[in-house]
Amino acid sequence: MSRDVVLSVHDLTKTYTGKKPFVAVDHISFSMHEGEILGLLGPNGAGKTTTIQMLLSTLKPTSGTITYFGKDFYTHRSETLQHVAFASTYIQLPHRLTILENLNVYGMLYNLSPAERKHRIQKFLTFFGVWDQRNKQMSDLSAGQKTRVMLAKAFLAHPRIALLDEPTASLDPDIAHEVRTFVLEQRREYNVSMLFTSHNMDEVTEVCDRVMFLQHGKIVADDTPDNLARSISTATVQLMVGDGMKRTIEYAKKHKLAHTIENRVMNISLDEQHIAELLSGLAKVGVEYTQISINKPSLETYFLYLAKQGRVVKKENT
Amino acid sequence: MNIGRIWAVTIRHLYLFIHSLDRLTDMVYWPIMDIILWGFTTQYVQQRNVSLPHVALAILTALVFWQVVWRANYEISVNLLEEMWNANLVNMFSTPLKPLEWVSAVMLIGLLKMLITLGVGVGAVWFLYSLNIFTIGWLFLPCIALLMASGWFMGFLGSSFIIIGGTRVQTIAWTMGFLFAPFSAVFYPVSVLPVWAQMISRVLPTTYVFESMRTVLATGAIP
Repeated sequence: MSRDVVLSVHDLTKTYTGKKPFVAVDHISFSMHEGEILGLLGPNGAGKTTTIQMLLSTLKPTSGTITYFGKDFYTHRSETLQHVAFASTYIQLPHRLTILENLNVYGMLYNLSPAERKHRIQKFLTFFGVWDQRNKQMSDLSAGQKTRVMLAKAFLAHPRIALLDEPTASLDPDIAHEVRTFVLEQRREYNVSMLFTSHNMDEVTEVCDRVMFLQHGKIVADDTPDNLARSISTATVQLMVGDGMKRTIEYAKKHKLAHTIENRVMNISLDEQHIAELLSGLAKVGVEYTQISINKPSLETYFLYLAKQGRVVKKENT
Repeated sequence: MNIGRIWAVTIRHLYLFIHSLDRLTDMVYWPIMDIILWGFTTQYVQQRNVSLPHVALAILTALVFWQVVWRANYEISVNLLEEMWNANLVNMFSTPLKPLEWVSAVMLIGLLKMLITLGVGVGAVWFLYSLNIFTIGWLFLPCIALLMASGWFMGFLGSSFIIIGGTRVQTIAWTMGFLFAPFSAVFYPVSVLPVWAQMISRVLPTTYVFESMRTVLATGAIP
């Protein structure tokens, strides 16, 4: 069954004018479906934050259109944002206000009734374990607590779409796990669609249904995390060689395999399909290894591959 | 326009007011200090020079009136800066809040705080010097309205520069009002200004308020 498109972006461009005009976002088009979690990845300066700011109307695009729920965003801004939430590690809530005061203000901005505000604020703060801190000023909270309050703010009005800009950056692993659990729960319970940016590739693989890679303002890849990882076939075989290091090096050289050696550990990069052939080949020449690990291509491998390519392209252009 | 959202932004700044001693100081402490310093100075001048009738009342009324302009201007630009200092501007405008609603809210906060400052100022003048600023009669109301509107204008002008230049030019929030003060003839008549300054003075609405106030106090006639 096809799901409804809740966000559609067409030919979106942002050019910063000045002495050196700079195209931050370059004619991107994509759509997001109901209940979908879409990862927006890319190296620093790729245009992720600029895109999110345009999706919030806090930055005016140079050209292109944004359509939420089938309606043009710029002509229906206020009514659209009633259903769109935003949370970012890099944006703060007023630090001299308490948690309760901040959430109360945001509840009012989303037109929640006093009873709804009270109920939902208690529900989210309890879920995130900060209900006891509710009368503390934001400036007295840890980074993790601030992030959790920010997420509570974002989901207070039960949005249909959430734009989450690195919601787990600088969080301890247990808190980051809690945030991921919350995000997935919101999707399961309320069918919320989410645009999710992160520098943690494992997290993106865990949370996102689909991933878009931005590079120099352009979308250079758009697929599921698994498919993207599979498109890079290079795996790394790590061998702790017990006996036959010389023979292993000779074998790698003979078969033109990229390799590095560090403290009797040899890393060999090769096509995933040739791993079995390598291992049997090494056995034939009598190499003994005490430990073996195979790093299969992941989203991170793909990210590194694209980032490397991007740097090469940039160098060639300059 | 949504009244609920306007009230939300108003409440946000009123919460800050509760937690922030410096905002309370701005609103009450400095006006009272000005009134004390200027009040005793003008009383001294008046005692020495009988040819200056109502000088104390004129200067103190001017002082209280200038606080109205200052507060209206200050609230607009400092409330914008407050959001910038807190990195909260994107948060605010990622909600259904409309720019016009935000503007209405900061004007409302300015009005509420101005009423408190005005009350404190009028009370302090009466308590310390037994002078009544309401001597100018019903003219008081349009004067206050005009001064508020002028202060808002200065605040929005300053805020536009802050939006363009960011916090690097935040000093505009404190200096913009005073840029207009010498030309508004707050404490002296326009006639003492050089001719070129008088030309600027005549295009400022604030000038007419301060000139009218002095005329009423000196002659009792409404200009």
